[in-house]
Amino acid sequence: MAAKGDWLVGELERRGVTRREFAAFCSTVAGILMLPRSAGAELAQAMATGRKPTLVWLEFQDCAGNTESFLRAARPSAADILLDTLSVDYHETIMAAAGHQAEAVLQDTVSGQSGQYLVVVEGSIPTGANGAYCTIGGRSALDIVREVCGSAQATIAVGTCAAFGGIPAAAPNPTGALSVADAVPGIRNLINLPACPANAANLAALVVYFVTYGRWPPLDGLRRPLFAYGKTIHDNCERRAHYDAGQYVELWGDEGHRKGYCLYKVGCKGPVCFQNCPEVGWNEGTNWPVGCGHPCLGCAEPDFWDKMTPFYAHLDGFPGFNRQTHIDKVGAWGTLGVAAAFGAHALIQIARRRGTGDAQDDSAETGETS
Amino acid sequence: MNARAEAAPARVYVWEFPVRLTHWTIVLSVVVLAVTGIYIGNPFLTVAGEARDHFVTGTIRVIHFYAAIAFALAVLARVIWMFMGNRYARWPQFVPMDEGRRRGIVQTLQFYLFLRRDPPPTAGHNPLAGATYLAVFGLYFVQILTGLAMYSASAPVGSPFGVFSAFVPILGGLQTARYVHHIAMWLILGFVAHHVWSAIEVALVERNGIIESMVTGYKTGVPDEEAKSRDE
Ligand code: SF4
Ligand code: SF4
Repeated sequence: MAAKGDWLVGELERRGVTRREFAAFCSTVAGILMLPRSAGAELAQAMATGRKPTLVWLEFQDCAGNTESFLRAARPSAADILLDTLSVDYHETIMAAAGHQAEAVLQDTVSGQSGQYLVVVEGSIPTGANGAYCTIGGRSALDIVREVCGSAQATIAVGTCAAFGGIPAAAPNPTGALSVADAVPGIRNLINLPACPANAANLAALVVYFVTYGRWPPLDGLRRPLFAYGKTIHDNCERRAHYDAGQYVELWGDEGHRKGYCLYKVGCKGPVCFQNCPEVGWNEGTNWPVGCGHPCLGCAEPDFWDKMTPFYAHLDGFPGFNRQTHIDKVGAWGTLGVAAAFGAHALIQIARRRGTGDAQDDSAETGETS
Repeated sequence: MNARAEAAPARVYVWEFPVRLTHWTIVLSVVVLAVTGIYIGNPFLTVAGEARDHFVTGTIRVIHFYAAIAFALAVLARVIWMFMGNRYARWPQFVPMDEGRRRGIVQTLQFYLFLRRDPPPTAGHNPLAGATYLAVFGLYFVQILTGLAMYSASAPVGSPFGVFSAFVPILGGLQTARYVHHIAMWLILGFVAHHVWSAIEVALVERNGIIESMVTGYKTGVPDEEAKSRDE
């Protein structure tokens, strides 16, 4: 385990990040965490003097998109370096060691630092065919998660696949893919950081919080940190004024699209998706999907691939019809059909009664039954 | 039960005031909710100019929420009245527990299929209608739950409506809640179409003043079940 204190600050200096930038990073993190401004100094203090957490990064049924999300960076920021510095212990995609050598590193961590390291899991856990769909070094993903997460201090399920099953678990889920929580129930201190991919800024903020306070921030019912998943995209969206006013993009590239109107009618799932994309942004806060004219896909929600599709329609089509068939169309015709059928029924009823002269005869009407 | 009319068409007080009040509150709110809800699902008005000068969708949503409050309270009141009102308002009118009412469902179905000349005489809800209303109340609760769940997503921090977010996973997520909310609305509208026509048909065929009864409370020429059960 690295020495106290110097692990981060020293590394930052070596890579040319100034103290000023580091302080700015800490206040940004305080902002992401929705902590008061003054907390920035506290976080900086903790990061400068605290113990370096050991972190292992496991990848299973994934596209390495989360890894990419954290490792990209034309000019590495303090956040990148933080994650970079943390994750060297074990990370298949980026570590120098390979094969048995790499597995030995993992084993050392698990047995040598039991209960003291953090695990990041990326990707879902296949449980079909006895776990044969994903094996590393001859062991199934399920086995590895059980062991590595089982003796970890805490586990972060990063990305929608690890948090909720994601794309591998989408119907028909051929590999029996499960989220970390479902695959191995009862993992200690599990936190979900869904999104496709998860936002590097949120992961950095989460780790800083953990290093500083030694526990996770408040979570919601799906074990997501409230600082990042406490509000819908829609409630913090910069296009919300257009939504409320009644100004919508109707077609790609139409006038409304060029004017930056709300993307609700082209399928924006912002109202049903919780994440802080509008505030934190992507690519070091350059922009975010809705900001550049694309609807939110709802990537951070459970079953997103099954439930949020079709991506460019407000709702799925009516069951049994083409997916483009809007429910309202089927519903309107159905309702008209019911009205027509019962209208016809009433007319037939009356005509029949007229025919037998019954409708005229009150006493026979109300009295007799058999 | 011998259902011969005891005398010349007598006026029977069937629908008490709370029944009529909740009925018409539900009618009105369902109309408002359907119109505003269809708009919210597909906002077909587009306004020009600056966003700050308009609040079209915002206003329609607010109307939808107020109508939803009226609707939910009326449904709740009607359910409570199922345990307080007269025999025509009570829950056994909806849940076909006894043999007689179950037979009545079949007889009413036969009437609707032209297999039978007259529906079984009933003062309150006919047995088939009663069972249908049970399903309709089920749809009402689906609407109220999905509506509250969706509302909870944007409820301000600390709002008591936040508790309804607990329903979100049960309903299969917010996007599914939206979907269910739409389908249930169309089922309710389909019921409305049927209900209006059936009322007209029964009024013409049975001549029991069923439509006026929803205003005055009185039906004519129906067996007075309430008095009968008192006599026995
Ligand atoms: S673009 Fe999407 S998130 Fe933004 S206001 Fe419109 S519907 Fe809401
Ligand atoms: S805008 Fe929506 S789809 Fe895009 S990253 Fe954010 S939560 Fe995911």
